[in-house]
Amino acid sequence: MTKQYDVAVIGSGVIGSSIAYHLSESRQKEILVIDQAYPLSGTSGSTQAWVWVHNKTPSWYGELSMLSAELYPFLERKIGDVEYKRTGGIAPFFDESDRQSALRLAEQQAEVGIEIEVLSREQVLEMEPALSPDIVGATYSKIDGNVNPFRLVELYIRAAKKNDVQFSFYNPVIDIRKHKGMFEVTTRKGVFITKQLVLAAGPWSRSVGKFLGLDIPVKQVRGQVLVTEPLAPLIKHTIGGMRQADNGEVLIGYSKEEVGYDRRTTLDIIQDTAKMAVDYLPDLAKANIVRCFAGIRVMPNDGHPIIGPIPTIENAYIAVMHSGITLSPLVGTVMTELFEYRETSIDLEKLRLDRFKEFKISV
Amino acid sequence: MDESTIICKCEEINLAEIESAIQSGAHTFDDIKRITRCGMGPCQAKICSSLVREIISQSLEVSLSEIGLPRMRMPLKPTRIAALAGKETSSSVVSVFAESAPKEGDES
Repeated sequence: MTKQYDVAVIGSGVIGSSIAYHLSESRQKEILVIDQAYPLSGTSGSTQAWVWVHNKTPSWYGELSMLSAELYPFLERKIGDVEYKRTGGIAPFFDESDRQSALRLAEQQAEVGIEIEVLSREQVLEMEPALSPDIVGATYSKIDGNVNPFRLVELYIRAAKKNDVQFSFYNPVIDIRKHKGMFEVTTRKGVFITKQLVLAAGPWSRSVGKFLGLDIPVKQVRGQVLVTEPLAPLIKHTIGGMRQADNGEVLIGYSKEEVGYDRRTTLDIIQDTAKMAVDYLPDLAKANIVRCFAGIRVMPNDGHPIIGPIPTIENAYIAVMHSGITLSPLVGTVMTELFEYRETSIDLEKLRLDRFKEFKISV
Repeated sequence: MDESTIICKCEEINLAEIESAIQSGAHTFDDIKRITRCGMGPCQAKICSSLVREIISQSLEVSLSEIGLPRMRMPLKPTRIAALAGKETSSSVVSVFAESAPKEGDES
């Protein structure tokens, strides 16, 4: 007989794994996570993994990011060392005319409790002496940081397994039907029956959504990153564009290209990224690059997360967003509240799927 | 080889760590790499990839030809950022013409 689950999560990236782990904490539900490949083979494994807050606008979106960043120390106590470091974040600017918008950003974000300082050149260089003296100033916040994405996803999954969550990897979903109030999820390895369903498929949300007759308005945005050889400590903070990992390697890159699922790296972006590296940190000119990689971000059409019930299908939920690394502790927490108490500690109204006109047309 | 044999010299990853990743569901070199850091060091898997593929092949009982290669990425060998940024000044590329054409005052 086919085993029945209370909840099936499609996607074992940082979001799906976090939801499964948080849901499993009360050990009330039989939970299954299905992934088309192996965790970290997609978006969650190809990122610099900043836990980044202070430049996230509008301020309600910044606030969500802040609340999630604040959960990281507690998460680490529960699932183990994910190398979360609240380094503080610096976003440099090179033109004096940018100072006005920096001050406006600081003012806006202060309304939701995000503390931003607008730094002078001297202050920036005092905090990070390796930064270029061509920098005119920067926005800075203590709340930003970074995490090791490999450890994070692996430990979400380990903790979930300890709470008896079942995982099925290398198992693409090929159809979903609803029958007598239950979802029948057909996968390459067999059919799973579940009462509730969570779509956490990141950049693949659109194709998974189609099985339910949904048009999920997300696009794919490629980012390319350069990795240096391990270097002596060079930067202490997470800098908008780069960070130094515990083992000394510096990860550099901030590029956006809409090229579908193409994960190749390209010489033009690599060269531009190398130029950015030297513009920010002149000493990096002497460092060796050992690898470049590319990842596909998922980007909802309006840039903001989609989290909550799927309005037209009872017992179906969705969680898809850019910045899943930053937001995963919060998303796991609120989705669990939704399942267990039917209400959430933060308002999900702005995150509803039916805010998109594309969605309204499709149903 | 025993459990403590180092498979990836750059990152010092041993056989037990590789096997444990395979047991948790990793099927490819790159799956194992992301869990263990095997192959992430300066040689970028040039030394360990055959060994790891053999271990996968034995553990999963599939033929070696079915185990994919690690994804190779630019720049293939460590390359200075200055060179990538076009700011390296020590170029040895010269002009054929300038090398041979007589300059003013040269004896013919």
